[in-house]
Amino acid sequence: MSATDHVSVEVRDLRREFKTKEAPVVALDGISFQVREGEVFGVLGPNGAGKTTTIRILSTLLLPTSGTAKVMGFDVSTEPEKVRHVINMASGAEKAGYDFITAKKNLWFFSQLYGLPSAVAEARIRELSELLGLTKYLDRKFYALSTGYRQRATIARAFINDPKVVFLDEPTIGLDVMTARSIREFLRSEAKRNGRTVMLATHNMAEVEAICDRVAIIDRGKIIAAGTPDSLKRALGAPALVMEVSPPPKSFDFLTGVAGVRGFTSATDEERDLSTVQVVVGDDDAAAEAAKRVQAEGLKVIASWRKPASLEEVFVALVGRGFKEREEQGGD
Amino acid sequence: MRARALVRLWSIYGEPLWVIVNMGFPILSSLAFSLLYLSIGAGSYVGFAVLGGVMVSFWSNVLWSMASQFNWDKQDGMFEIYLTSPASITAILIGMSLGGIINTVPSAAIVTAIGWALFHPVVYASWGAVVLTFFLTLAALYALGMTLSSLYLVYGREAESMNNVLQEPVSMFSGVYFPSIGAFSPFPFAVQLAASLIPLTIGMDALRRSLFFGQGFSGVSLDLFLLADLSVAFLIASMVALKALERKGRTDGTISVRIR
Repeated sequence: MSATDHVSVEVRDLRREFKTKEAPVVALDGISFQVREGEVFGVLGPNGAGKTTTIRILSTLLLPTSGTAKVMGFDVSTEPEKVRHVINMASGAEKAGYDFITAKKNLWFFSQLYGLPSAVAEARIRELSELLGLTKYLDRKFYALSTGYRQRATIARAFINDPKVVFLDEPTIGLDVMTARSIREFLRSEAKRNGRTVMLATHNMAEVEAICDRVAIIDRGKIIAAGTPDSLKRALGAPALVMEVSPPPKSFDFLTGVAGVRGFTSATDEERDLSTVQVVVGDDDAAAEAAKRVQAEGLKVIASWRKPASLEEVFVALVGRGFKEREEQGGD
Repeated sequence: MRARALVRLWSIYGEPLWVIVNMGFPILSSLAFSLLYLSIGAGSYVGFAVLGGVMVSFWSNVLWSMASQFNWDKQDGMFEIYLTSPASITAILIGMSLGGIINTVPSAAIVTAIGWALFHPVVYASWGAVVLTFFLTLAALYALGMTLSSLYLVYGREAESMNNVLQEPVSMFSGVYFPSIGAFSPFPFAVQLAASLIPLTIGMDALRRSLFFGQGFSGVSLDLFLLADLSVAFLIASMVALKALERKGRTDGTISVRIR
Protein backbone atom coordinates (compact mmCIF):
# COMPACT_ATOMS: atom_id res chain seq x y z
CA MET A 1 0.00 0.00 0.00
CA SER A 2 1.37 3.42 -0.84
CA ALA A 3 0.44 6.98 0.09
CA THR A 4 -3.20 7.79 -0.64
CA ASP A 5 -4.99 11.09 -1.10
CA HIS A 6 -6.52 10.85 2.35
CA VAL A 7 -5.04 13.48 4.62
CA SER A 8 -3.99 12.15 8.00
CA VAL A 9 -2.21 15.24 9.40
CA GLU A 10 -3.31 18.75 8.60
CA VAL A 11 -1.59 21.80 10.04
CA ARG A 12 -2.72 25.37 9.39
CA ASP A 13 -0.99 28.60 10.47
CA LEU A 14 0.39 26.87 13.52
CA ARG A 15 2.15 29.21 15.91
CA ARG A 16 3.70 28.47 19.27
CA GLU A 17 5.38 30.89 21.63
CA PHE A 18 7.19 30.03 24.84
CA LYS A 19 7.30 32.53 27.66
CA THR A 20 10.75 33.31 28.97
CA LYS A 21 12.01 35.82 31.54
CA GLU A 22 13.32 38.08 28.79
CA ALA A 23 10.82 37.95 25.93
CA PRO A 24 8.51 35.38 24.35
CA VAL A 25 10.36 32.93 22.11
CA VAL A 26 8.62 32.07 18.86
CA ALA A 27 9.19 28.36 18.27
CA LEU A 28 6.72 28.04 15.39
CA ASP A 29 5.77 31.00 13.28
CA GLY A 30 2.65 30.08 11.33
CA ILE A 31 3.52 26.80 9.63
CA SER A 32 1.09 24.90 7.38
CA PHE A 33 1.37 21.50 5.77
CA GLN A 34 -0.52 18.28 5.08
CA VAL A 35 0.58 14.68 5.35
CA ARG A 36 -1.20 11.89 3.51
CA GLU A 37 -2.02 8.39 4.71
CA GLY A 38 0.82 5.94 4.12
CA GLU A 39 3.35 8.70 3.67
CA VAL A 40 6.72 9.04 5.37
CA PHE A 41 7.02 12.75 6.00
CA GLY A 42 10.15 14.40 7.35
CA VAL A 43 10.49 17.67 9.20
CA LEU A 44 14.11 18.62 8.68
CA GLY A 45 15.99 21.46 10.30
CA PRO A 46 18.84 22.40 12.61
CA ASN A 47 18.52 22.19 16.40
CA GLY A 48 16.12 24.84 17.63
CA ALA A 49 14.29 25.14 14.31
CA GLY A 50 10.91 24.07 15.76
CA LYS A 51 10.81 20.38 14.74
CA THR A 52 10.25 18.97 18.20
CA THR A 53 7.66 21.63 18.98
CA THR A 54 5.73 20.55 15.89
CA ILE A 55 5.84 16.88 16.90
CA ARG A 56 4.85 17.71 20.48
CA ILE A 57 1.82 19.70 19.38
CA LEU A 58 0.69 16.94 17.02
CA SER A 59 1.13 14.28 19.69
CA THR A 60 -1.03 16.31 22.15
CA LEU A 61 1.78 17.17 24.56
CA LEU A 62 1.70 20.87 23.80
CA LEU A 63 -1.02 23.34 22.88
CA PRO A 64 -0.49 25.73 20.00
CA THR A 65 -0.62 29.46 20.71
CA SER A 66 -2.73 29.86 17.57
CA GLY A 67 -3.61 27.97 14.43
CA THR A 68 -5.04 24.49 14.07
CA ALA A 69 -3.64 20.98 13.82
CA LYS A 70 -5.69 17.90 13.06
CA VAL A 71 -4.71 14.24 13.16
CA MET A 72 -7.04 11.83 11.36
CA GLY A 73 -9.61 14.62 11.43
CA PHE A 74 -9.41 15.19 15.21
CA ASP A 75 -8.29 18.55 16.53
CA VAL A 76 -5.25 18.15 18.80
CA SER A 77 -6.30 21.12 20.95
CA THR A 78 -9.93 20.28 21.56
CA GLU A 79 -10.06 16.51 21.01
CA PRO A 80 -6.80 15.18 22.45
CA GLU A 81 -8.46 12.01 23.80
CA LYS A 82 -9.61 11.03 20.30
CA VAL A 83 -6.20 11.81 18.82
CA ARG A 84 -4.50 9.59 21.42
CA HIS A 85 -6.45 6.55 20.24
CA VAL A 86 -4.97 6.73 16.74
CA ILE A 87 -1.39 7.84 17.33
CA ASN A 88 1.80 6.83 19.04
CA MET A 89 5.10 8.58 19.39
CA ALA A 90 8.73 7.95 20.27
CA SER A 91 11.83 9.98 20.74
CA GLY A 92 15.44 8.99 20.24
CA ALA A 93 16.31 10.78 23.48
CA GLU A 94 13.85 8.92 25.70
CA LYS A 95 14.60 6.06 28.07
CA ALA A 96 11.08 4.72 27.83
CA GLY A 97 11.07 1.48 29.74
CA TYR A 98 11.20 0.17 33.26
CA ASP A 99 14.76 -0.99 33.86
CA PHE A 100 14.12 -3.94 36.12
CA ILE A 101 11.64 -5.78 33.96
CA THR A 102 12.27 -7.47 30.62
CA ALA A 103 11.82 -5.83 27.24
CA LYS A 104 8.88 -8.17 26.60
CA LYS A 105 7.11 -7.22 29.82
CA ASN A 106 7.73 -3.56 29.08
CA LEU A 107 6.12 -3.95 25.65
CA TRP A 108 3.19 -5.85 27.14
CA PHE A 109 2.73 -3.06 29.69
CA PHE A 110 2.69 -0.39 26.96
CA SER A 111 0.16 -2.43 24.98
CA GLN A 112 -2.12 -2.33 28.02
CA LEU A 113 -2.15 1.47 27.93
CA TYR A 114 -4.10 1.02 24.69
CA GLY A 115 -6.32 -1.73 26.07
CA LEU A 116 -5.00 -4.51 23.82
CA PRO A 117 -6.16 -8.00 24.89
CA SER A 118 -3.11 -9.93 26.12
CA ALA A 119 -3.25 -12.49 23.29
CA VAL A 120 -3.30 -9.72 20.68
CA ALA A 121 -0.52 -7.92 22.50
CA GLU A 122 1.64 -11.06 22.59
CA ALA A 123 1.17 -11.61 18.85
CA ARG A 124 1.99 -7.97 18.14
CA ILE A 125 5.13 -8.12 20.31
CA ARG A 126 6.25 -11.26 18.44
CA GLU A 127 5.64 -9.67 15.05
CA LEU A 128 7.33 -6.36 15.83
CA SER A 129 10.29 -8.07 17.50
CA GLU A 130 10.88 -10.20 14.44
CA LEU A 131 10.70 -7.22 12.13
CA LEU A 132 13.08 -5.22 14.31
CA GLY A 133 15.50 -8.06 15.11
CA LEU A 134 14.64 -7.90 18.80
CA THR A 135 13.36 -11.44 19.36
CA LYS A 136 16.55 -12.78 20.98
CA TYR A 137 16.63 -9.93 23.45
CA LEU A 138 12.99 -9.89 24.56
CA ASP A 139 13.70 -11.71 27.82
CA ARG A 140 16.53 -9.42 28.84
CA LYS A 141 15.90 -6.80 31.48
CA PHE A 142 15.58 -3.37 29.96
CA TYR A 143 18.72 -1.99 31.66
CA ALA A 144 20.76 -4.85 30.18
CA LEU A 145 19.94 -3.91 26.58
CA SER A 146 22.48 -2.00 24.50
CA THR A 147 21.54 1.47 23.20
CA GLY A 148 20.67 0.01 19.81
CA TYR A 149 18.37 -2.68 21.15
CA ARG A 150 16.74 -0.25 23.56
CA GLN A 151 15.95 1.96 20.61
CA ARG A 152 14.56 -1.01 18.68
CA ALA A 153 12.33 -1.70 21.70
CA THR A 154 11.31 1.97 21.75
CA ILE A 155 10.36 1.80 18.09
CA ALA A 156 8.44 -1.44 18.72
CA ARG A 157 6.59 0.40 21.50
CA ALA A 158 5.64 3.19 19.12
CA PHE A 159 3.92 0.65 16.84
CA ILE A 160 2.46 -1.62 19.52
CA ASN A 161 -1.10 -0.24 19.25
CA ASP A 162 -1.25 -0.47 15.47
CA PRO A 163 -1.41 3.35 15.22
CA LYS A 164 -2.66 5.21 12.17
CA VAL A 165 -0.06 7.94 12.65
CA VAL A 166 3.35 7.63 14.31
CA PHE A 167 5.35 10.67 15.37
CA LEU A 168 9.07 10.15 15.79
CA ASP A 169 11.59 12.66 17.08
CA GLU A 170 15.17 11.90 16.01
CA PRO A 171 14.48 8.14 16.01
CA THR A 172 18.01 7.07 15.11
CA ILE A 173 20.04 9.64 17.01
CA GLY A 174 23.22 8.19 18.50
CA LEU A 175 22.81 4.79 16.84
CA ASP A 176 25.38 2.86 14.86
CA VAL A 177 24.99 2.78 11.08
CA MET A 178 23.58 -0.77 10.89
CA THR A 179 20.97 -0.25 13.61
CA ALA A 180 19.94 3.09 12.13
CA ARG A 181 19.57 1.51 8.71
CA SER A 182 17.52 -1.38 10.03
CA ILE A 183 15.17 1.01 11.89
CA ARG A 184 14.77 3.16 8.78
CA GLU A 185 13.91 0.11 6.68
CA PHE A 186 11.32 -0.91 9.26
CA LEU A 187 9.75 2.57 9.31
CA ARG A 188 9.50 2.74 5.54
CA SER A 189 8.06 -0.75 5.30
CA GLU A 190 5.45 -0.04 8.02
CA ALA A 191 4.25 2.99 6.08
CA LYS A 192 4.10 1.24 2.73
CA ARG A 193 2.89 -2.18 3.90
CA ASN A 194 0.27 -1.04 6.37
CA GLY A 195 -0.69 2.40 5.10
CA ARG A 196 0.53 4.04 8.29
CA THR A 197 1.59 7.65 8.31
CA VAL A 198 5.07 8.12 9.72
CA MET A 199 6.14 11.64 10.54
CA LEU A 200 9.65 12.19 11.74
CA ALA A 201 11.51 15.21 12.99
CA THR A 202 15.21 14.97 12.33
CA HIS A 203 18.32 16.94 11.59
CA ASN A 204 19.75 13.93 9.77
CA MET A 205 19.59 14.73 6.06
CA ALA A 206 20.69 11.26 4.98
CA GLU A 207 17.79 9.82 6.96
CA VAL A 208 15.30 12.05 5.19
CA GLU A 209 16.75 11.19 1.80
CA ALA A 210 16.69 7.49 2.61
CA ILE A 211 13.09 7.09 3.76
CA CYS A 212 10.95 10.20 3.35
CA ASP A 213 8.42 10.57 0.55
CA ARG A 214 8.24 14.30 1.25
CA VAL A 215 10.05 16.71 3.50
CA ALA A 216 9.41 20.14 5.00
CA ILE A 217 12.58 22.07 5.71
CA ILE A 218 12.11 24.23 8.76
CA ASP A 219 14.25 27.08 10.02
CA ARG A 220 13.53 29.45 12.91
CA GLY A 221 9.94 28.32 13.16
CA LYS A 222 9.09 28.70 9.47
CA ILE A 223 8.84 26.16 6.67
CA ILE A 224 11.28 27.41 4.07
CA ALA A 225 10.77 24.62 1.53
CA ALA A 226 8.67 21.51 1.09
CA GLY A 227 8.53 18.76 -1.49
CA THR A 228 10.05 15.42 -2.36
CA PRO A 229 13.78 15.20 -1.62
CA ASP A 230 14.40 14.78 -5.37
CA SER A 231 12.38 17.83 -6.39
CA LEU A 232 14.15 19.99 -3.82
CA LYS A 233 17.56 18.81 -5.03
CA ARG A 234 16.65 19.25 -8.68
CA ALA A 235 15.73 22.89 -8.04
CA LEU A 236 19.33 23.58 -7.06
CA GLY A 237 20.66 23.52 -10.59
CA ALA A 238 24.41 22.92 -10.46
CA PRO A 239 26.39 20.58 -8.19
CA ALA A 240 28.09 22.21 -5.22
CA LEU A 241 31.78 23.11 -5.27
CA VAL A 242 33.84 21.68 -2.43
CA MET A 243 37.34 23.06 -1.75
CA GLU A 244 40.03 22.21 0.78
CA VAL A 245 41.98 25.38 1.42
CA SER A 246 44.98 26.28 3.54
CA PRO A 247 45.62 28.08 5.81
CA PRO A 248 42.14 28.14 7.34
CA PRO A 249 40.73 31.67 7.00
CA LYS A 250 38.84 33.38 9.83
CA SER A 251 35.71 33.19 7.71
CA PHE A 252 34.49 32.63 4.18
CA ASP A 253 32.20 35.65 4.30
CA PHE A 254 34.04 37.07 1.27
CA LEU A 255 32.15 34.50 -0.83
CA THR A 256 28.85 36.18 -0.05
CA GLY A 257 29.33 38.85 -2.72
CA VAL A 258 30.28 36.45 -5.52
CA ALA A 259 27.62 36.40 -8.24
CA GLY A 260 25.74 33.08 -8.41
CA VAL A 261 26.88 31.87 -4.97
CA ARG A 262 23.76 30.94 -3.02
CA GLY A 263 25.42 30.03 0.25
CA PHE A 264 28.19 28.05 1.83
CA THR A 265 29.08 25.93 4.84
CA SER A 266 32.58 25.32 6.15
CA ALA A 267 34.52 23.30 8.70
CA THR A 268 38.09 23.60 9.91
CA ASP A 269 40.45 20.68 10.50
CA GLU A 270 43.05 22.12 12.87
CA GLU A 271 45.18 18.98 12.81
CA ARG A 272 45.61 19.23 9.05
CA ASP A 273 45.64 23.04 9.14
CA LEU A 274 42.97 23.39 6.48
CA SER A 275 39.35 24.33 6.00
CA THR A 276 36.78 22.61 3.85
CA VAL A 277 34.23 24.90 2.28
CA GLN A 278 31.17 23.69 0.44
CA VAL A 279 29.78 26.35 -1.87
CA VAL A 280 26.26 26.07 -3.27
CA VAL A 281 26.20 27.68 -6.71
CA GLY A 282 23.56 28.51 -9.26
CA ASP A 283 25.70 27.43 -12.24
CA ASP A 284 29.20 26.37 -13.29
CA ASP A 285 30.36 29.96 -13.89
CA ALA A 286 29.60 30.82 -10.28
CA ALA A 287 31.68 27.82 -9.17
CA ALA A 288 34.65 29.04 -11.20
CA GLU A 289 34.19 32.55 -9.83
CA ALA A 290 34.09 31.27 -6.24
CA ALA A 291 37.34 29.32 -6.74
CA LYS A 292 39.04 32.44 -8.14
CA ARG A 293 37.83 34.51 -5.22
CA VAL A 294 39.30 32.03 -2.72
CA GLN A 295 42.67 32.22 -4.43
CA ALA A 296 42.44 36.01 -4.54
CA GLU A 297 42.23 35.96 -0.74
CA GLY A 298 45.72 34.38 -0.67
CA LEU A 299 44.43 30.93 0.20
CA LYS A 300 45.87 27.82 -1.40
CA VAL A 301 43.29 25.41 -2.87
CA ILE A 302 44.67 21.97 -1.99
CA ALA A 303 41.86 20.01 -3.58
CA SER A 304 38.49 20.73 -5.12
CA TRP A 305 35.64 18.67 -6.49
CA ARG A 306 31.96 18.92 -7.39
CA LYS A 307 29.45 17.25 -5.12
CA PRO A 308 26.04 15.98 -6.30
CA ALA A 309 23.19 17.90 -4.71
CA SER A 310 21.89 16.70 -1.35
CA LEU A 311 19.42 18.20 1.09
CA GLU A 312 22.36 19.81 2.86
CA GLU A 313 22.97 21.98 -0.20
CA VAL A 314 19.25 22.69 -0.44
CA PHE A 315 19.31 24.08 3.11
CA VAL A 316 22.47 26.11 2.41
CA ALA A 317 20.93 27.52 -0.76
CA LEU A 318 17.80 28.57 1.13
CA VAL A 319 19.37 29.97 4.28
CA GLY A 320 22.86 30.89 3.09
CA ARG A 321 24.55 28.77 5.78
CA GLY A 322 24.67 25.12 6.92
CA PHE A 323 22.96 23.57 9.97
CA LYS A 324 26.05 23.99 12.15
CA GLU A 325 26.47 27.70 11.43
CA ARG A 326 22.72 28.22 11.84
CA GLU A 327 22.77 26.57 15.26
CA GLU A 328 25.74 28.74 16.27
CA GLN A 329 23.85 31.85 15.17
CA GLY A 330 21.01 30.73 17.48
CA GLY A 331 17.63 29.57 16.34
CA ASP A 332 14.46 29.62 18.34
CA MET B 1 -4.47 -0.38 36.37
CA ARG B 2 -3.66 -4.09 36.54
CA ALA B 3 -0.72 -3.67 34.17
CA ARG B 4 0.84 -0.86 36.20
CA ALA B 5 0.41 -2.87 39.42
CA LEU B 6 2.10 -5.86 37.77
CA VAL B 7 5.02 -3.73 36.55
CA ARG B 8 5.57 -2.60 40.12
CA LEU B 9 5.51 -6.19 41.40
CA TRP B 10 7.81 -7.50 38.66
CA SER B 11 10.23 -4.65 39.30
CA ILE B 12 10.61 -5.21 43.02
CA TYR B 13 10.57 -9.01 43.02
CA GLY B 14 12.95 -9.02 40.08
CA GLU B 15 15.44 -7.38 42.43
CA PRO B 16 14.99 -9.12 45.82
CA LEU B 17 17.69 -6.91 47.36
CA TRP B 18 15.19 -4.05 47.24
CA VAL B 19 12.78 -5.97 49.48
CA ILE B 20 15.56 -6.30 52.07
CA VAL B 21 16.65 -2.65 51.70
CA ASN B 22 13.05 -1.51 52.17
CA MET B 23 12.90 -3.33 55.49
CA GLY B 24 16.02 -1.72 56.93
CA PHE B 25 14.67 1.61 58.16
CA PRO B 26 11.35 0.38 59.59
CA ILE B 27 13.02 -2.51 61.43
CA LEU B 28 15.75 -0.35 62.94
CA SER B 29 13.48 2.48 64.02
CA SER B 30 10.93 0.04 65.36
CA LEU B 31 13.65 -1.73 67.38
CA ALA B 32 14.98 1.60 68.70
CA PHE B 33 11.58 2.75 69.96
CA SER B 34 10.78 -0.69 71.40
CA LEU B 35 14.01 -0.65 73.39
CA LEU B 36 13.25 2.91 74.51
CA TYR B 37 9.82 1.86 75.83
CA LEU B 38 11.42 -1.09 77.64
CA SER B 39 14.22 1.00 79.14
CA ILE B 40 11.78 3.48 80.71
CA GLY B 41 9.67 0.71 82.14
CA ALA B 42 6.82 1.17 79.67
CA GLY B 43 7.01 -2.33 78.22
CA SER B 44 3.25 -2.55 77.87
CA TYR B 45 3.46 0.08 75.11
CA VAL B 46 6.12 -1.72 73.06
CA GLY B 47 3.40 -2.76 70.62
CA PHE B 48 3.08 0.89 69.57
CA ALA B 49 6.63 0.79 68.25
CA VAL B 50 6.09 -2.46 66.37
CA LEU B 51 2.89 -1.14 64.82
CA GLY B 52 4.77 2.07 63.98
CA GLY B 53 7.41 0.07 62.11
CA VAL B 54 4.71 -1.61 60.04
CA MET B 55 3.01 1.64 59.12
CA VAL B 56 6.29 3.46 58.43
CA SER B 57 7.00 0.81 55.77
CA PHE B 58 3.85 1.90 53.96
CA TRP B 59 4.46 5.61 54.55
CA SER B 60 8.00 5.32 53.07
CA ASN B 61 6.55 3.46 50.10
CA VAL B 62 3.98 6.22 49.59
CA LEU B 63 6.67 8.90 49.68
CA TRP B 64 9.40 7.26 47.66
CA SER B 65 7.49 5.03 45.27
CA MET B 66 4.27 6.94 44.79
CA ALA B 67 4.79 10.65 45.33
CA SER B 68 8.09 10.78 43.46
CA GLN B 69 7.22 8.31 40.73
CA PHE B 70 5.64 10.68 38.19
CA ASN B 71 8.51 13.09 38.63
CA TRP B 72 10.96 10.29 37.79
CA ASP B 73 8.70 9.18 34.97
CA LYS B 74 8.74 12.73 33.63
CA GLN B 75 12.53 12.80 33.64
CA ASP B 76 12.70 9.47 31.81
CA GLY B 77 10.12 10.38 29.19
CA MET B 78 7.64 7.82 30.55
CA PHE B 79 5.12 10.44 31.56
CA GLU B 80 4.88 11.59 27.95
CA ILE B 81 4.06 8.03 26.95
CA TYR B 82 1.29 7.89 29.54
CA LEU B 83 -0.12 11.21 28.39
CA THR B 84 -0.09 10.43 24.70
CA SER B 85 -1.88 7.13 25.32
CA PRO B 86 -5.64 6.88 25.86
CA ALA B 87 -5.07 5.35 29.33
CA SER B 88 -6.43 7.15 32.37
CA ILE B 89 -3.64 8.62 34.47
CA THR B 90 -5.73 8.08 37.58
CA ALA B 91 -6.00 4.37 36.72
CA ILE B 92 -2.22 4.25 36.33
CA LEU B 93 -1.81 5.84 39.76
CA ILE B 94 -4.27 3.40 41.34
CA GLY B 95 -2.36 0.52 39.75
CA MET B 96 0.85 1.96 41.12
CA SER B 97 -0.77 2.13 44.59
CA LEU B 98 -1.98 -1.47 44.50
CA GLY B 99 1.45 -2.65 43.38
CA GLY B 100 3.06 -0.55 46.09
CA ILE B 101 0.82 -1.99 48.81
CA ILE B 102 1.49 -5.58 47.74
CA ASN B 103 5.21 -4.85 47.50
CA THR B 104 5.32 -3.48 51.02
CA VAL B 105 3.47 -6.40 52.61
CA PRO B 106 6.60 -8.62 52.96
CA SER B 107 8.51 -5.79 54.60
CA ALA B 108 5.61 -5.01 56.96
CA ALA B 109 5.14 -8.70 57.75
CA ILE B 110 8.81 -9.17 58.62
CA VAL B 111 8.80 -6.07 60.87
CA THR B 112 5.73 -7.55 62.61
CA ALA B 113 7.30 -10.99 62.97
CA ILE B 114 10.59 -9.67 64.35
CA GLY B 115 8.81 -7.24 66.72
CA TRP B 116 6.46 -9.93 68.02
CA ALA B 117 9.23 -12.49 68.41
CA LEU B 118 11.54 -10.15 70.29
CA PHE B 119 9.15 -8.11 72.44
CA HIS B 120 5.93 -10.12 72.75
CA PRO B 121 3.65 -7.06 72.83
CA VAL B 122 0.34 -7.57 74.59
CA VAL B 123 -2.54 -7.44 72.13
CA TYR B 124 -6.14 -6.96 73.12
CA ALA B 125 -7.69 -6.59 69.69
CA SER B 126 -11.03 -6.06 68.12
CA TRP B 127 -9.91 -7.68 64.87
CA GLY B 128 -12.76 -6.54 62.68
CA ALA B 129 -12.09 -2.91 63.57
CA VAL B 130 -8.33 -3.45 63.19
CA VAL B 131 -8.64 -4.86 59.69
CA LEU B 132 -11.07 -2.20 58.48
CA THR B 133 -9.01 0.61 60.03
CA PHE B 134 -5.84 -0.81 58.48
CA PHE B 135 -7.28 -0.94 54.98
CA LEU B 136 -8.93 2.46 55.22
CA THR B 137 -5.65 3.92 56.47
CA LEU B 138 -3.86 2.44 53.48
CA ALA B 139 -6.55 3.77 51.14
CA ALA B 140 -6.23 7.28 52.58
CA LEU B 141 -2.41 7.10 52.62
CA TYR B 142 -2.11 5.97 49.02
CA ALA B 143 -4.74 8.49 47.91
CA LEU B 144 -2.53 11.12 49.57
CA GLY B 145 0.38 9.62 47.62
CA MET B 146 -1.61 10.04 44.41
CA THR B 147 -2.21 13.70 45.21
CA LEU B 148 1.44 14.26 46.07
CA SER B 149 2.47 12.49 42.87
CA SER B 150 0.38 14.95 40.87
CA LEU B 151 1.74 17.96 42.74
CA TYR B 152 5.35 16.79 42.53
CA LEU B 153 5.08 17.06 38.76
CA VAL B 154 5.27 20.80 39.28
CA TYR B 155 8.33 20.67 41.50
CA GLY B 156 10.61 18.66 39.27
CA ARG B 157 13.82 17.60 40.89
CA GLU B 158 13.02 19.45 44.10
CA ALA B 159 10.56 16.65 44.79
CA GLU B 160 13.27 14.49 46.30
CA SER B 161 14.19 17.20 48.80
CA MET B 162 10.50 17.55 49.53
CA ASN B 163 10.38 13.86 50.43
CA ASN B 164 13.29 14.21 52.79
CA VAL B 165 11.60 17.22 54.38
CA LEU B 166 8.31 15.35 54.78
CA GLN B 167 9.48 11.94 55.98
CA GLU B 168 10.59 12.60 59.55
CA PRO B 169 8.14 15.39 60.53
CA VAL B 170 5.23 13.30 59.28
CA SER B 171 6.50 10.30 61.23
CA MET B 172 6.72 12.42 64.36
CA PHE B 173 3.44 14.34 64.12
CA SER B 174 1.43 11.39 62.89
CA GLY B 175 2.36 9.46 66.02
CA VAL B 176 3.93 6.52 64.33
CA TYR B 177 5.86 5.51 67.46
CA PHE B 178 3.89 7.30 70.21
CA PRO B 179 0.39 8.80 70.47
CA SER B 180 0.35 12.24 68.88
CA ILE B 181 -3.34 13.00 69.30
CA GLY B 182 -5.68 12.43 72.22
CA ALA B 183 -5.10 12.35 75.98
CA PHE B 184 -1.52 11.03 75.84
CA SER B 185 -0.29 13.41 73.11
CA PRO B 186 2.71 15.60 74.01
CA PHE B 187 1.53 18.23 71.45
CA PRO B 188 -0.76 21.25 71.99
CA PHE B 189 -4.28 21.06 70.58
CA ALA B 190 -3.50 23.19 67.49
CA VAL B 191 -0.69 20.83 66.47
CA GLN B 192 -2.92 17.81 67.07
CA LEU B 193 -5.58 19.35 64.86
CA ALA B 194 -3.09 20.02 62.07
CA ALA B 195 -1.61 16.53 62.45
CA SER B 196 -5.11 15.05 62.02
CA LEU B 197 -5.07 16.15 58.39
CA ILE B 198 -2.47 13.43 57.80
CA PRO B 199 -4.35 10.17 57.34
CA LEU B 200 -1.54 8.29 59.07
CA THR B 201 -2.28 10.19 62.31
CA ILE B 202 -5.92 9.16 62.41
CA GLY B 203 -5.12 5.65 61.22
CA MET B 204 -2.37 5.08 63.78
CA ASP B 205 -4.52 6.34 66.63
CA ALA B 206 -7.46 4.15 65.63
CA LEU B 207 -5.20 1.14 65.07
CA ARG B 208 -3.64 1.54 68.50
CA ARG B 209 -7.05 1.74 70.13
CA SER B 210 -8.51 -1.20 68.27
CA LEU B 211 -5.39 -3.40 68.42
CA PHE B 212 -4.17 -2.79 71.96
CA PHE B 213 -7.24 -1.50 73.83
CA GLY B 214 -9.95 -3.63 72.22
CA GLN B 215 -12.06 -0.77 70.89
CA GLY B 216 -14.59 -2.07 68.36
CA PHE B 217 -16.32 -0.38 65.44
CA SER B 218 -18.27 1.95 67.70
CA GLY B 219 -15.07 3.13 69.39
CA VAL B 220 -13.29 3.97 66.13
CA SER B 221 -16.31 4.90 63.99
CA LEU B 222 -15.39 8.58 63.78
CA ASP B 223 -11.84 7.62 62.71
CA LEU B 224 -13.19 5.25 60.07
CA PHE B 225 -15.51 7.95 58.79
CA LEU B 226 -12.65 10.47 58.62
CA LEU B 227 -10.35 8.00 56.88
CA ALA B 228 -13.00 7.19 54.29
CA ASP B 229 -13.59 10.92 53.76
CA LEU B 230 -9.88 11.60 53.39
CA SER B 231 -9.53 8.73 50.89
CA VAL B 232 -12.26 10.15 48.69
CA ALA B 233 -11.06 13.75 49.13
CA PHE B 234 -7.46 12.90 48.19
CA LEU B 235 -8.60 10.79 45.25
CA ILE B 236 -10.69 13.66 43.91
CA ALA B 237 -7.90 16.16 44.65
CA SER B 238 -5.50 13.96 42.70
CA MET B 239 -7.84 13.73 39.70
CA VAL B 240 -8.47 17.48 39.69
CA ALA B 241 -4.77 18.27 40.14
CA LEU B 242 -3.79 15.91 37.31
CA LYS B 243 -6.29 17.44 34.93
CA ALA B 244 -5.24 20.98 35.85
CA LEU B 245 -1.54 20.15 35.63
CA GLU B 246 -1.94 18.45 32.27
CA ARG B 247 -3.69 21.54 30.92
CA LYS B 248 -1.06 23.81 32.45
CA GLY B 249 1.73 21.58 31.16
CA ARG B 250 0.31 21.64 27.62
CA THR B 251 -0.08 25.41 27.78
CA ASP B 252 3.29 26.24 29.33
CA GLY B 253 5.26 23.44 27.69
CA THR B 254 6.34 21.91 31.00
CA ILE B 255 5.22 18.31 30.52
CA SER B 256 8.65 17.38 29.32
CA VAL B 257 12.02 18.20 30.78
CA ARG B 258 13.36 18.21 27.23
CA ILE B 259 11.93 21.25 25.51
CA ARG B 260 13.52 21.96 22.17
